[in-house]
Amino acid sequence: MKINWKPFVLSILVILAVFPFVYLTLLSLSSGWRFPDVLPSYFGLKNWHTILGSEAGLLKSFFSSLLISLSVAVVSTLSGFALSRTVFYHKQKRLLSLFTYFPYVLAPVVFGACLNYFFLKMGLSGSVFGVIVAQFLIAFPYALIFFSSFWNEKIRHYEDLVATLGGKPLQAFWKVLLPLAKSLLLICFFQTFLISWFEYGLTSIIGLGKVQTLTIKVFLFIKEANFFYGALSCCLLIFPPVVLLYFNKRYVFKNLV
Amino acid sequence: MVPFFSAFIYALLYSLGIIGTLNDGFTLLFWEEVLSSGEFVSSFLYSTLVAAVALFISVGGALWTVIKFKKNLDGKFLSFVMYLPLAIPGVVAAFFTRQLFSQGGFFARVSYQLGWIAKPSEFPDVVNDALAIGIILTFVTIVMPFFTLLFLNVYKNERIAELSVLAKSLGANAKQVTLRVCLPILLKKTWVLIALYFIFLLGAYEVPLILGRESPQMLSVLIIRETRQFDLSKISEGYVIAVMYTIVVSVAAIILFLPKRKKVYEN
Repeated sequence: MKINWKPFVLSILVILAVFPFVYLTLLSLSSGWRFPDVLPSYFGLKNWHTILGSEAGLLKSFFSSLLISLSVAVVSTLSGFALSRTVFYHKQKRLLSLFTYFPYVLAPVVFGACLNYFFLKMGLSGSVFGVIVAQFLIAFPYALIFFSSFWNEKIRHYEDLVATLGGKPLQAFWKVLLPLAKSLLLICFFQTFLISWFEYGLTSIIGLGKVQTLTIKVFLFIKEANFFYGALSCCLLIFPPVVLLYFNKRYVFKNLV
Repeated sequence: MVPFFSAFIYALLYSLGIIGTLNDGFTLLFWEEVLSSGEFVSSFLYSTLVAAVALFISVGGALWTVIKFKKNLDGKFLSFVMYLPLAIPGVVAAFFTRQLFSQGGFFARVSYQLGWIAKPSEFPDVVNDALAIGIILTFVTIVMPFFTLLFLNVYKNERIAELSVLAKSLGANAKQVTLRVCLPILLKKTWVLIALYFIFLLGAYEVPLILGRESPQMLSVLIIRETRQFDLSKISEGYVIAVMYTIVVSVAAIILFLPKRKKVYEN
């Protein structure tokens, strides 16, 4: 009799995908977990209560991350959409689009190390605004690349049609292009939000340790060997994207290939 | 482009001693020192190897998963579960790997309770290990889910299921369908993204910072260590490595994105 091993392998894949979320949640609820105990001596909401207090400053970090990510996502999505039209209708489209890839392929932390001097000179280092500007520099090229597939012949024909019918370029933009790009704008917003939300290296360089986003907090807790608060920071970091992914999972990959 | 070129020119001038604290003027000394020390070469080879192994396992695993389980992965529950790993950033994945696989971690505790080890040091060290197993494992957990979803989407968009039926009706066996229909289409449609991911892994920072060793270090970790050290006379050497790394990834970007690629399959 032939054994059907597919359900077994699929179950393992599901466990592997869900396990980090379960393990990190349980770890965030634990304390006093000494070797060789497999289970911690305490399970409860003690660690989570600290979020509401100021002891670890996690609530502040959460809102800092949220403010930075929302700002980066809104600005890079809107400016990326507006400027991508100029880039992808330009005669030197190939060269300009190549230029957009340079900051994108360079490791953000190396980019940050080389840019740090300019941020220091402009007084942007160590501030939330400076981190937003720095993250914008990597999220904006992504947005430009993302919208490259939108500007095709079909869209140009729509614009021509609006002009033929007497519409102005601004009317074409607001009444035709924006509605057509609505779902793409939403996906780009999610993607740039995640780029910013997950960013560590660039933030640590430009933020100088003063801007403590959640990723910075996770790293600080690892350094302090405070794994329970580290797990708690991880939970705050990974559950909001799960909610976002739930909403945009239908659209994310359609535009990648 | 202005920030990119500004950053590059700043690093280049610093590496040539033209600007920077304690630098007196143009010199090739820092370049000579970096090239003769061999640290850049060993770090570059180490990063390339780690990125290549992680990517090979991830792409191979994702292809296998999609080809074997494409029908099952279409289900509502599974299709959402497959997206979950995308919500995990590098820093969390590295923290998780450390929690599970370190010598005092979860699996070491389980091994102790099962009587397989008598003390933590007997547990195989895959965190901060010489073979970078912890780093590769973490990269795979980040990258493989992405490629699984990507290949699954290409599989649907390129109508590979219909093409497979056609190939079978023309006499191809299951192996020929996989090797001559499925794999070529999946790889040809996604090779740019595969190459991009190689570049991303080459410059990865958080994961090797948490799970890597002091030597050899992956490129980004080495660059940050050198450019932010207390010995100001050595900072220029860090910028030499940054300039070389930037040139390598920029050339890769030019090779990948400048040639006008022909459309492989027209709709």
